[in-house]
Amino acid sequence: MATKSLAQPKRKKTVWDTIIAQRELIIMSVPLLLYKILFSYVPVIGWTMAFQNYKPAVRSIWKQEWVGLANFAKLFTGVNGERFIKDVRNTLGQSFLTLLVGYLGSISLALLLNEVKNIKFKRIVQNITYMPHFLSWIIVAGLVSTMLAVPTSGGIINDVLIRLGIIKESIMFLSYPEYFWWIVAFSHLWKEMGWNSIIYLAAMTSIDPTLYEAAIIDGANRYQKMWHITLPGIKPTIMVLLIMNIGQLLEAGFEIQYFLGNGLVVERSEIIDIFVLKYGIQMGNYSLATAAGIFKSVVSIILISVANFIAGRIGEEKLI
Amino acid sequence: MKAKKRKKVDIENITFTTLNTCYLLFLCIVMLYPMLNTLAVSFNDAMDTVRGGIYLLPRKFTFYNYYVVFNMDTIYNAFYISVAKTIVIVVTNLFFTSMLAYTLSRKEYILRKFITTVFVLTMYFNAGLIPNYMLIKNLGMINTFRVYWIPHIISAFNLIVLRTYIKTIPESLIESARIDGAREFRIYMQIVMPLIIPALATIALFVAVGSWNSWFDTFLYNSAKQELSTLQYELQKLLASTMTAGSRAPAGGAYAAAQAGASNVTTPQSIRAAITIVTAVPILLVYPFLQRYFIHGLAIGSVKE
Amino acid sequence: MKKIVSLLLVMLLVLTATACQPAPKQGTQGTGIQTVSETGESKQTTGLPVLSPDDPTTFSVWITTNFSAPAADNKLTKLLKEKLGVTINYEIITPDTADQKIGVMLAGGEYPDLIGTTDLNYRFIMGGALIPLDDYLTEDKANYLFEHVRPYWNRLATDAGDGVKRIYILPNYNRYYGEITGGTHYGASGFWIQKHVLQELGYPSLDNMTLERYFQMIEEYMKKYPTIDGQPTIGFEILCAPGREWGLTNPPQYLAGAPNNGGVIVDENNVATIFADKDIAKRYYKFLNQMNARGLVDRESFTQTLDQYLAKLATGRVLGMYDQRWSFGNAHDSLVSQGRDERTWVSTMPVYEGKTPYYADRDVMNINQGFGVSVSCKYPDKAVAFLNTMLSEEWQKILSWGIEGEDYHVDANGRFYRTPEQREQQKDLVWRSKNKLEALMDQLPKHQGTFSDGNAFSPGDQPEEFFETLSDYDKNFLNAYGKKTWRDFLNQPPENPVYYPCWNIYLDEDAQTVSQQLTDLALQYLPKAILADPSEFDAIWDEYVSAIRKVNVKVYEDAINAGIQERIRNWGGGR
Repeated sequence: MATKSLAQPKRKKTVWDTIIAQRELIIMSVPLLLYKILFSYVPVIGWTMAFQNYKPAVRSIWKQEWVGLANFAKLFTGVNGERFIKDVRNTLGQSFLTLLVGYLGSISLALLLNEVKNIKFKRIVQNITYMPHFLSWIIVAGLVSTMLAVPTSGGIINDVLIRLGIIKESIMFLSYPEYFWWIVAFSHLWKEMGWNSIIYLAAMTSIDPTLYEAAIIDGANRYQKMWHITLPGIKPTIMVLLIMNIGQLLEAGFEIQYFLGNGLVVERSEIIDIFVLKYGIQMGNYSLATAAGIFKSVVSIILISVANFIAGRIGEEKLI
Repeated sequence: MKAKKRKKVDIENITFTTLNTCYLLFLCIVMLYPMLNTLAVSFNDAMDTVRGGIYLLPRKFTFYNYYVVFNMDTIYNAFYISVAKTIVIVVTNLFFTSMLAYTLSRKEYILRKFITTVFVLTMYFNAGLIPNYMLIKNLGMINTFRVYWIPHIISAFNLIVLRTYIKTIPESLIESARIDGAREFRIYMQIVMPLIIPALATIALFVAVGSWNSWFDTFLYNSAKQELSTLQYELQKLLASTMTAGSRAPAGGAYAAAQAGASNVTTPQSIRAAITIVTAVPILLVYPFLQRYFIHGLAIGSVKE
Repeated sequence: MKKIVSLLLVMLLVLTATACQPAPKQGTQGTGIQTVSETGESKQTTGLPVLSPDDPTTFSVWITTNFSAPAADNKLTKLLKEKLGVTINYEIITPDTADQKIGVMLAGGEYPDLIGTTDLNYRFIMGGALIPLDDYLTEDKANYLFEHVRPYWNRLATDAGDGVKRIYILPNYNRYYGEITGGTHYGASGFWIQKHVLQELGYPSLDNMTLERYFQMIEEYMKKYPTIDGQPTIGFEILCAPGREWGLTNPPQYLAGAPNNGGVIVDENNVATIFADKDIAKRYYKFLNQMNARGLVDRESFTQTLDQYLAKLATGRVLGMYDQRWSFGNAHDSLVSQGRDERTWVSTMPVYEGKTPYYADRDVMNINQGFGVSVSCKYPDKAVAFLNTMLSEEWQKILSWGIEGEDYHVDANGRFYRTPEQREQQKDLVWRSKNKLEALMDQLPKHQGTFSDGNAFSPGDQPEEFFETLSDYDKNFLNAYGKKTWRDFLNQPPENPVYYPCWNIYLDEDAQTVSQQLTDLALQYLPKAILADPSEFDAIWDEYVSAIRKVNVKVYEDAINAGIQERIRNWGGGR
């Protein structure tokens, strides 16, 4: 700020000069900026729906009945409110656990794959581990459900545990609320671990190989190489993805909770999106759905701003 | 002393490699199983599958499930539309996203922070189903091919990934090009692009898969035009036709029930399996081609110096 | 009456084919009905346009259904084009995604020519998307449609917000012509029990069934056969998968002798109250709790998906469940295809003492499903003409049975029947997409019951077809009970109360929310209560009831009662 006032007489020229100097960059980016504003920001006018009792048939948004914050009140108070708040808690809990388990899984997979010398084996493993990504969630839910069932219904896990003598009677995993978050996290892990590792493997290819050579000369062992070269090499990728994912903490997926959730675990299984589906969309109550959407967006933006800020503070690469 | 150390390292190496290989093999089995299971179910007689107990091999082999899928003539045109749509999206996406990512990687660019913020924020809010629909409608894109790719030219996530990757390119390279008089666009096309091929390949894969699997946009915007339908959407509809009235009770009680989905030669489960295989196979075939770029990236990386 | 109209139409077709008439000025193309008056002059009356290949029309049709659009070379599609010049562009939306599509359609304001959707039709009416059809529903215009709705006019007329009741939708199901034969099949609710159980127990009488006796039979059988085909026998399966929650919540009303009114029971004074927190419900679930303690209930009932439920049923080791026949169709078919008819089920009707079973009801006409003509349709006259023509007996036979000689045959007495090959064909999805117009037929008004020549509308209801296709095991089974059809196992349905059924009373948002909340609570507490140790049942039940108290049940009950009163006032009789 101080520098600017000192340079007062020159200020206008400097900024304009910069614009001229960077005109190529501007041409390469501003049209795309306008494009994005059109497609993502302009429709946000539709958020007014949350403050109305929106009926799609009354086409114009200005002619709708205004109800102020009533929809938000519906979300947070009364019987609905208790439920919605639990849903928020569930959503955060599931996301957080999924994130944690997912990161550990995919990063470690990338690291271990990187260590594989045999190119053929490496390729085969890579190709196989990303396959579950292509199964639709309903199939995965069906498989998970079968796996967790009793042995006579195809429940492998119970079968193995009983045979090993660890438990005497089958555990009905899907009837205990406490297990649900873990089931969600591990289902995501199974489905996405291989796929998510792709991006880390791609990042690893940009690490300067001479660093490894130097490390070998210095007598570093495998683990030291991983810890001091590979990991730091993909740190920007990890951090950037981490920040973005923190912003998405209120998106915990949808399908697996929808298919595996049941009355016994609903306290822990229902998430915001399911609530919105049941009480918003399926009733034609778009106002409520929009209100919930606004809530999610506001929280997400707060989360990502905080994450971004902290990243800057601890010396990491900031997102923005 | 040195021999001892080498031996220790050797043992360490062997242990590590063995453990690693075992772990990776275990992962492979765990990941492969669902796919093989789906494959088995798709080749198994539907009425037999309902009894359960199909694991790795079909018990009552049949082509019927695939027969149903491939006899739906609408999927052939839908296949071409899906392919066309995917190619267009990938090409436009790669080009525009990387171009923008390049500008955002330049620390000196005055609009850098602003544009990044605008884009990043879009990942965290959504205007809603109806407002987005109205926008598309007002732009005259309902029932057109354009609606498949124009709204998807740039995704914030890919933008950030590419920007991060571009930032790893040494400044010196860019500087020297500037000194030689190259303009920004040329630097982007001739220097940066070749160096970010692994990242581009990754993004291409993500975008392609996303586009290939999507059906919601078809459902929302193009459901009235059969010629514009996509593979996934047609398959979703096929799947629905095997269900007994889905989640709502069927209209018309007994009569409707007797008619609805009453094919006792196939079930949703079996058709779903066949559909999964049919949509996954093209991707599984394409991926190995892109994989080259990841593994051989190491060689490209060394060119940088 | 109908014969005269058919004759007129035939004359009309002939006349328009030979005469060259200029199109009338209103823009409706084609000519009107010509009547030959006594003096021999031809008089033109206003009627509906005639659809013919000389004047081809294309309709865009939106249908919410699980059926898929016909194949491009479908033979009936060709027939429509050849005979009526009609081409149909289908837009098929599946029921589980319909909510979102309807929302954007209403917001956008442009619609296909014909709209046929499920219960959500109401949204279209209130959204001003459909045109009123009253003017067409007269004897000289849409004669078949008029006849179709005439006795039920007051039920069908809806107020779209301007205070006047008009008809906007043509109901597609359960408008019966001729005898209500009751059919041979039974598609709805019951406490199903495996046929083999009854066989083993010597075909005990199923009259005066009680819950206790029902489970007693199951227990006896289980003692005898703890495993079936190497897998443990399951006594009773509880259905509560998403979309089928009624499997858990409906039984108490049946046990109390009340028909299915959704979440309420209506007393003699026509007042509805919910029954979820009443003793009749508590008694049922407490009983299940005790049965569970005896090992007769499948513990996995509450955590399995619908696919898994059906799979269990299809293994033939489930002895009993409360379900609706259409819901477990796949499992039934699977067992039949495995040749294990003895493992399929027959329906029983347990009730509490002193109550009369009212499981089977008379099929209710769907007042809010079927086709409507949209405001965007450029030629509504033709659209109505099309729907009207489709309701003629000639076309109904084609749509339901097929083409004579290809899909069915006529015997010397004029009765329709099918050969075994023809029956097999009907099961093949691919064949059906080439030879039937299932999606369209789903939404078209239907001439259910019997045709004027005595044949049943639906092949499934043709008595000969039913008896021909009975398996030997089933024949023996029916004989042992002295019954002729599956329907005979159910009660004779009494005349429905005029407001029946309450589950399709249109509820506003607040009432819908309450209804959803009640369902959610049921799913949350009842499984816990049933699986718990018997000593804990009462405590959990009290928790459940107090949770229900917190919900604004009155809003829901009031809405239903208002609906009942409205129906009582308006639904008597037709026009």
